[in-house]
This record gives sequence, structure tokens and C-alpha cells, in this order.
Amino acid sequence: MYQYDAFDHAFVRDRNAEFADQVARRLSGEITEDQFKPLRLMNGLYLQLHAYMLRIAVPYGVLSSKQVRKLAHIARTYDRDFGHFTTRQNLQFNWIKLADAPKILEELAEVEMHALQTSGNCIRNTTTDQFAGAAKDEHEDPRPWAELIRQWSSNHPEFTFLPRKFKIAITGADRDRAAVRVHDIGLHARPEGFDVYVGGGLGRTPSLGHRIKTGLKGENLLSYLEAALRVYNRYGRRDNIYKARIKILVAALGPDEYARQVEAEWATLDKSRIDAPVVEIDRIRSFFPAPAWKTGFDAAAFERAKTADPGFARWLRNNTLAHRQDNHLSVTVSLKPVGAPPGDASSAQMDLLADVADAYAYGELRVSHEQNIILPHVAKDDLYALYSRLDAAGLGTANGGKITDMIACPGLDYCSLANARSIPLAQDISRRFEDAQLTDKIGDLSIKISGCINACGHHHVGHIGILGVDKQGVEFYQILLGGRADENAALGVITGKGLSAEAVPDAIERVVQLYLNLRKDESERFIDALERLGREAFAEALHEPA
Amino acid sequence: MSRPNSSYEPQLVNRAGETLTGDEIETLDFDRAVEELDGLNGSYAVAIQPGQDVRALLPFIDHIARFDIAFPGYRDGRGYSSARILREAGFTGAIRAVGDVLRDQLFYMLRCGFDEFLIKDAAPPEAIRAAAQRYATTYQSAADAAAPVWALRHRIPA
Amino acid sequence: MKLLTANRLSDGLTIWYTPSGWVEDAAHAARLDDAAAEALQKTWAARETEVVGAYLIPLKDDGAPVQREHVREFVRANGPTIGATADALARRFQRADIFKD
Repeated sequence: MYQYDAFDHAFVRDRNAEFADQVARRLSGEITEDQFKPLRLMNGLYLQLHAYMLRIAVPYGVLSSKQVRKLAHIARTYDRDFGHFTTRQNLQFNWIKLADAPKILEELAEVEMHALQTSGNCIRNTTTDQFAGAAKDEHEDPRPWAELIRQWSSNHPEFTFLPRKFKIAITGADRDRAAVRVHDIGLHARPEGFDVYVGGGLGRTPSLGHRIKTGLKGENLLSYLEAALRVYNRYGRRDNIYKARIKILVAALGPDEYARQVEAEWATLDKSRIDAPVVEIDRIRSFFPAPAWKTGFDAAAFERAKTADPGFARWLRNNTLAHRQDNHLSVTVSLKPVGAPPGDASSAQMDLLADVADAYAYGELRVSHEQNIILPHVAKDDLYALYSRLDAAGLGTANGGKITDMIACPGLDYCSLANARSIPLAQDISRRFEDAQLTDKIGDLSIKISGCINACGHHHVGHIGILGVDKQGVEFYQILLGGRADENAALGVITGKGLSAEAVPDAIERVVQLYLNLRKDESERFIDALERLGREAFAEALHEPA
Repeated sequence: MSRPNSSYEPQLVNRAGETLTGDEIETLDFDRAVEELDGLNGSYAVAIQPGQDVRALLPFIDHIARFDIAFPGYRDGRGYSSARILREAGFTGAIRAVGDVLRDQLFYMLRCGFDEFLIKDAAPPEAIRAAAQRYATTYQSAADAAAPVWALRHRIPA
Repeated sequence: MKLLTANRLSDGLTIWYTPSGWVEDAAHAARLDDAAAEALQKTWAARETEVVGAYLIPLKDDGAPVQREHVREFVRANGPTIGATADALARRFQRADIFKD
């Protein structure tokens, strides 16, 4: 993975010194809360319902075991012994003291981490495929490009006070696991260059990104982004926070006109000053070599373990993905045990994840936007030992991609923006479907829950999406059907009236039962059956007890 | 408890942190500048509000000694693009930041080509110096002389 | 009647106004008559180096917050409800009387 040089270290040190000074000035009264708020947000520090929340950047979701141990230490020392992995591949601590924040940032700097630009109207953490560098269908490793963007966007002098936040996602595989069409800018690396999508996003006005360019050469990526951001910075709306994202500008101008303005702006830029030269791109690439692969595979022992331990066999089926090395697999460590808050990990679990990453996964971990931890490279010979240790620590849940592998935002239990709670609902649903046989029978099905229209739980792109709303102080949940975030991205549609929290698990059970009754065979997934049969039949089942 | 910085009278300082005294140069608003500058002789300042396109004034740039770029609220970042566009177009006169100018924006303003600041602060010269020295590493090229980090890494002359 | 609540600047914790100062336990929050509440809110909104975002929670005659505020204020007063329904939590904290329906 990327390693800081003296320049990167100096930058984070300077940034932390600046923030420590801003905190001190806030505590002394030199700056008001109004002035301080955007400054603390630029460092990922929110004031939530119960306390400050610190959102730590996990650049493009990549973590070393050493970094995970540091996060565990921070959870133990400064928080209530746990952290929450987010849909943006980041980590949040929910109980932070303002006065501790500078000290925490110092600790993070020791392991080449920070909280910069995890909030605020600036360019946020670039997200990518959690299986980057491992997946069989990848033709370009997105991580060096994401690192290039990270550096270019860090403390960018022109783009720190944008109309609204700005999120970039990048993928380099056939299958789009980074959901590039629901980001402000999505980049899809292809052999002939990048496809550039713009104006996608969820939130109040969900929309899919428009492709405005193909064949963009990597050597010109930064100058093109600079032009795209400048047009947005100058002409994005600032009069209404709900209409300030780039998707609104692109919709107002039309994608062709926006693309034309970007090209015109791009033509004025001195690309030689903006674009990093090939030698720098190569330098960054050199930090992402393939590990020294373990060789060999004892197929007989592997089969024996599968037969002896059905739990292992099931976990293999649901939580592993084909790897470019035939004797390796990528592993999803589910942070969705039945009845637990999706994405939470205790400090002890984080320490264990670091230990097994060192023992079996070349010391490397990833955060997925599904709020799970990925061990991208595990030799098949090590899988049973890995599974056994994970399972003993409560991390062996075999529900990857299944109905209980839900995404949920923190919701009204923590978030001051939320209208309704998300986590307790996720817990109720996961208890309803806790039977392993039933879960496997249902197959791939994504439920995504957001506690408000800001859509941190990505409810628009869940096969079943759930949106919490507030009706005179009472929580209600609107159900969406038919969303998907993959290379066939589609937005779910709201069905009927909102349901009470108690009614939601029953409604979902009816929809799932209908699917089981109507599917052609086991290979027809929920989303495929829904698209074949239409939403109406399923919407009826949601709202009318059978 | 300190006094809030926004309670101070704005003071005019340059990028070296030196206090400037008021000047007598005539200031035109954007619309008047677009309509009349072509027929005027002499040197003017032009006040730019967010949303006004500085490129419309590039044909008359010889008549403009200074741009006063407004930051009505400090979260409105359009002024940074305006300043960079002027510098990229070769404007060598003064670019002044006016409005809600506080010490935490100065680093970005310095990098985008501003060289005068009407700032509210207890100690404006110290604020400018601190902003100029805040970062040893800059990751991007902008309107100032700071080299992007890749140029330093690979010893590429700017 | 109203309650005055805020977050403490230094650690961000939710706090409640009582005649003898701010406390973390909502059970001790003072029920203030409207005029006194408005005046106190103004005073504390200006004391930004101590508390952030001081605001009033309107109560109905029976002591419950007006409905619009109910869930948010309940969670804010009692902490995250994760792993327990709101009712179970209220019983655990013996706080059903703070915001009763």
C-alpha cells in the first residue's frame, strides 16, 4: 500500500497543527461556533446528538494491520471501545471529546492516517472497489489513481469551499463494485482510458451519472478533474443546500452542455503544471505490488475441512470471491452478526482482524461500502484456520451479500440530521431472517436503510430500500423496490405509504415469500425476478398482508 | 476568554503582512465595467461579486489596476476560481479579498493569487505570516510560486 | 413548560439545565415556565465557550414533549436505543416519566 514520504508526513503534521490551533481558538472564544463548524467539519468532526463524532479517512478503503491496531487503540482510549465502519469506506468514532481531537489526530499521523476532508463542502475520500488488486475481472488497479486523486485534492486551494460536498469513485474492473454511477464523478478505467461519469448521486434527488467523456488518458486525469470542478465551483447553485450538488447543475445545463463547458475550461488550463508526470504515477504505482504469493494448495485437506465443518463450507460459499491467483480467495468478514448494529467493531475485534491479516492475509485489509471488512488475499490453505479464529471472535457470520448483510446509516440513535432510527430496524430484520437455511435459500438480496433523505444508507440502490421519515414525531418507513448499485445501476421506486417500524419486518417477509413462490429456479435472484415480474406485484405484497 | 475575531474592524494588509492605507482609485461595479471600460482611459478597480464572470473583463484588463473580489460569506468559494482565472490569464495587478475574510481562509487565498486582504482579525500581519508558513507541502500547482509535491519529488523545475 | 438543553463544548455531551447548573441526567432537567425558559435560552446561546446549540424543548401540560419532537428528544435524553426498543430503554433507565406519552 502507499507509504508516506517526508512530504506527506510534513503535510499531515502541518494540517494537524493548524487544526489544534483552531480548536484552541474555539475553546478560548476567539472564533464562534458558526465560524468553527466548517473548520471542524473539514477535519471530520461533527457534533451529533450525544457527543462529537470523528470520521477518520480510510483512503479508498485500504488499511494495514498496523493502522487497524491504532484504530483499536483509539477506540479503547478515547471512545467507548468500538468504532463504526461507514458506507463511504471510512471509520467513525461516536463519543469523542473536542479537546481530545488534536491528540487523536497526532496518533493517527503516526500510522499515516488523518481525518481531513471527511466532511465539509470539499472533495471527499475517493472510494473504490474493495477487491482492487485481487479480483479476477480487474484490468486496471484503481488504487494508484485513487491515491493520485487523494494527493491532488488534499487542501486544494480552489476547491475547499465548493457549493456542496464532492465524491469521486473509481473502478477498474468489469463488474462495478464501486457504484461509480451514483457519485458526483465516477471513473471507470478501461484499456483505452477513463470513462468519466458525472452528476450521479443519492440523497434528495437521486440520479445516475451521465457519461461525458471516454478515453481520458490517465496522464490528464487531474487537469480534467480540475476543469470539471472549476465549472461546478463557479456555477453550482449556492442558494439552496438541497440543490447544490453537481447533479442539479448537470441536470440544469444538460450533460452535453456541462461537458462542453468542461472541455472549454480544460483547454485554458496549463496541463503541464497540473498533471502529475508519468514518473510520479509510476512512483505511486510502485507502492501497490502484488504480494509474494504463497504457493501450492492442498485440495484434499481443504475438502476434508469443508466436509467436517458445514459452517466453514457455508462461509466459503457466501463470504469468498474468486481471486486472480487460483490458490487464493478474497474474504469478506461480515460485520453483520444477527442482531448487531451493521458496521460496528469492538477494539478487541479490530485487534483480532489485524492479527489474522498478519497471519493469513499479507497484513492487508479493506473496508467495503457494504460496511464489512475485506481480506483481499488469502491462500486457500489458510482459509480454515482463518475462519476458525474469526468464528471464535464472533466474526464468522456467513451472510455475505445475503438478506442480513444489510447497510444501515447510524440513524437517529446518533445522527442529528436523521428523522428516524435505522440500526434498531436493521436489528429487527436480521433477527427475522436469522435462520441460516432460509438466508441461503433466499440468496443474494440487499436491504439498505437510511434514516433520512440524505441517503447515507444508500436506500435508493438497495434491492429493497428503506427510508425513515418523521410524521409528527413518530417514525415511519417508506419502502423502495428495485434499486441496484452494480454495473446495471438503477434507482429503487417508493411503494405505497410509510410503514411503522413494527410492520416492516412482516412486510419484507411477505415480499421475500412472494419471491420464493414466483422465482423460476434458485438461480433467479430476487432482483432478477423483480425486474422480470415488475414491481407492482411485490409492492402489493409489501402493503397487504397475504 | 478572547474577543471574537469577527468583532474587529477590517484592516487592509498585503501578502507581506504590511498594513496598507486607503487609496483613491475609482472602483467600478461589474456591470459598469463591462459596459464602459472600453471607452475609458486610466486605471480602475473593479468589484466582483460571486457569480460574475471575470472572463468578461479580460478584453479591458489594461484599464484595470485591481480586482476587489467579494466573499459575502466565507463558505462561498467562487472567489477562489475568479482569482485563479485572472492569474492564469496573465493579470499582474492587485487582487484584493473583501467581505467575510478571516484568518482561516488566507492560506487558500494566497495560493489562488490574492495579494491584498481586507481582514477582520486581532493581528492581521501575524495572521498573514502564519498562513504563508502554514504548509511546507503543497500537492497542487496554483497561482502562487509553490511547486506541487511531484515536482519536488522528481526535481522537475517549475 | 419547557426544558433547556444543549451540548457541552468541551466533550459534546448532552446536558440539561437545572437551577444549580447543567447536568447530564435528563431526569433532573428543570421544567421552566415559558418566559424564564426564553430568557435562559438567550443567555446561554451567547455563552458559546461553555455550551453549544442551547435550545428549548416544549412540553405539553402532562410533561411530554410536543409530538413533533418526541423520538428525537427521547433518544437524545436516553442515549442510543440500539439493542433495545424505546420502551425497554425507558424502563431500564426508569425514565418513563420524563417524556411520557
